[in-house]
Amino acid sequence: MADLRLLRMRCYWRLAVFRTGAVNAASGSAYAEIGDTKVIVSVFGPRESKKAMMYSDIGRLNCNVSYTTFATPVRGQGSDNKEFSSMLHKALEGAIILDSFPKTTVDVFALVLESGGSDLPVVISCASVALADAGIMMYDLVASVSVSCLGKNLVIDPVLEEESYQDGSLMISSMPSRDEVTQLTITGEWSTAKIHEAMMLCLDACSKLGKIMRSCLKEAALASQE
Amino acid sequence: MEVDRADGRTRNQLRPLACTRGTLNRAHGSATWSQGETKVLAAVFGPKAGTKKNENPEKACIEVIWKPKTGLIGKPEKEYEMILKRTLQSICLLTVNPNTTTSIIVQVVNDDGALLPCAINAACAALVDAGIPLKHLAVAICCCLADGYVTLDPCKLEEQRTKAFAYLVFPNSLVSVRRKGSLQVEIEPVEHGIITSVTRGVMPVEDYLRCLERGRAVSAKLSEFLRRSMQVQAPSDSPTAG
Amino acid sequence: MGPMNDSSDLSSEMEVDAFRRLFPLRFHERHLLESIRPDGRPLGRARDTTLAFGAVASADGSALAKIGCTTMLAAIKMEVMTPTVESPNEGCIAVEFHMPPICSPTVRPGRPAEVAPVVSKQLSDTILRQVVMTFSGMIDLKDLSLVNGKAAWMAYLDIYCLDADGALFDTALLSAVAAFCHLKFPMVSLNDDGRVVVVSGESKGGKSGKEAVNKEQRKLNLISIPFSLTCTLHNNYILADPTAEEESIMETLVTVVLDSSLQLVSFYKPGGPVLAFTSAVMVSSDLQKAII
Repeated sequence: MADLRLLRMRCYWRLAVFRTGAVNAASGSAYAEIGDTKVIVSVFGPRESKKAMMYSDIGRLNCNVSYTTFATPVRGQGSDNKEFSSMLHKALEGAIILDSFPKTTVDVFALVLESGGSDLPVVISCASVALADAGIMMYDLVASVSVSCLGKNLVIDPVLEEESYQDGSLMISSMPSRDEVTQLTITGEWSTAKIHEAMMLCLDACSKLGKIMRSCLKEAALASQE
Repeated sequence: MEVDRADGRTRNQLRPLACTRGTLNRAHGSATWSQGETKVLAAVFGPKAGTKKNENPEKACIEVIWKPKTGLIGKPEKEYEMILKRTLQSICLLTVNPNTTTSIIVQVVNDDGALLPCAINAACAALVDAGIPLKHLAVAICCCLADGYVTLDPCKLEEQRTKAFAYLVFPNSLVSVRRKGSLQVEIEPVEHGIITSVTRGVMPVEDYLRCLERGRAVSAKLSEFLRRSMQVQAPSDSPTAG
Repeated sequence: MGPMNDSSDLSSEMEVDAFRRLFPLRFHERHLLESIRPDGRPLGRARDTTLAFGAVASADGSALAKIGCTTMLAAIKMEVMTPTVESPNEGCIAVEFHMPPICSPTVRPGRPAEVAPVVSKQLSDTILRQVVMTFSGMIDLKDLSLVNGKAAWMAYLDIYCLDADGALFDTALLSAVAAFCHLKFPMVSLNDDGRVVVVSGESKGGKSGKEAVNKEQRKLNLISIPFSLTCTLHNNYILADPTAEEESIMETLVTVVLDSSLQLVSFYKPGGPVLAFTSAVMVSSDLQKAII
């Protein structure tokens, strides 16, 4: 099993693709494709907050995640995902320097084009690339990875099928270069030792993913300079 | 021209027209318009202070709310709303009352074909009744294409049987409109222009041009009727559109 | 510059971007005088168009269309249904157009864009053309029948606008048509209860093939292929394939849809100032032909 995991680890960053500037109409955007999971995130703003909002010294972050009707194997309704929206908000909130845009709002909208498992981590990572593309000040990029526990085995970056059989799942969103975690969620059945192992696995993958994200942004910056 | 329509009309004949102004006394302006069995009631509220959503410091805003005869508003009604809104926007003098909203509520009383043109005519009459400043009036007509012939103002049954049809909106043909030379650039006489065109179904380009020709011819008649009914009922009103 | 007034003096002092924002109309009129557009196109030129098939792996047919920056993703999912009693030998197509909040700064979550249902309606009108008596649609619904009166295909076509920069309908229609071209029926078989079910499994595929292959695995036959072109009209200029900025400034929009046999499918002009129509119709359809 360990071999398989290593194999998956290697596959993980071979299959991860990020591209900035996917949506021209947005201030910043990114497209991410990790395995079969395909996500587009647009960032708008900082722009005027809703009229009903109270005055605020710091900026606001507004997140929304939705699915296309054809994202899932069975045709869905393609509606908003409230849970993911608030999770995305919480994962990014800690990384953005909200003081840098007082009174205004930054909107982060994500659309899952195809769901192939580990949707939320991909959305979070993609959103942080899009935020960077929009020039929103952040302490660091947020890389997010999840691990599924299948019996005795740990599977990193689970695909849809693995997620459906999992006994438990653990997701970490971290800022790799600061070695800080912005979000940690654990669901299901876990032993303490397993949690420790899974967390190490995740943090390691996060730092690798962070490098891929960083290199994508560097490439984009270089290309725009030329 | 032979009589070959179910209700005994010729191809170019319209159904009996009727227009009543000021049907509702709470609304700032209202009108009912009927063409045969199709009947639409339109009410105008405004100009009122612009709502946040429609705020525009330079122009007035037009809002159209379509009420179907029964049931909830769906996609076709949304499309009608949009067409009506765009059409009315182009005949209103939007710069006179900047930062205001004018709501037009269109209630379908009965649908027997050519619903959208009927609604446009009703809305136009209601706008006049409310005294909203207009560049000119607009008249709408539905042309049907069946067996290579153009048929005007179809009823529901005819509408369902045709290969294709076009809704056309023309500006009023009587040129007593005061020209706002600076606002309008005229290339051809205004009444030759077309404000709105919506087509369904496949037709050759020539047939479309024939529709336009027929539609334009009959629009003169329609606009005369519209003007007459406006004058008859409000002789003392300050003429807003003519 | 003849017709310019006070603003033209200003324009020499002001930065181009500021001028563009403050006097958008004059900014564009200034370009029109030179018969060129802000993005460097001549008036009658449409933007670059790209088309990619099979963008969504989980759908039965899909395509990504791009006109300039406007991007549309269309995907078709097929499901087996029981046909209606009125038309036992026909399938059904449901068309839905979505504008998710990612596509434009004007769309906010929970408040769908105003134009989305309108484009949706226009699209289904163009694709289905539900005019009874004469059949003129792009797709013969009888092709979607599986077992007469028992089973037929229900095709769910969903079009997502990923990036909105004008000419939404044109791009959406292009992606929809391309998705139908790419569509491959899933395998079906009769199960023990005598019902028709979809068999999951890979199948070999050709890409182009227009003729029907066999009963179990085949492409859809498209009878006529519609093409659409949107133009804005401003005074006596006609601008083909406008961007979102051009659409918002010049109010008259005309969308002409012709099919592959050059029949007029739709001539759509919602409001806007009156125009000298005959010439405009001709020019738009000429432009259209040029693009086909």
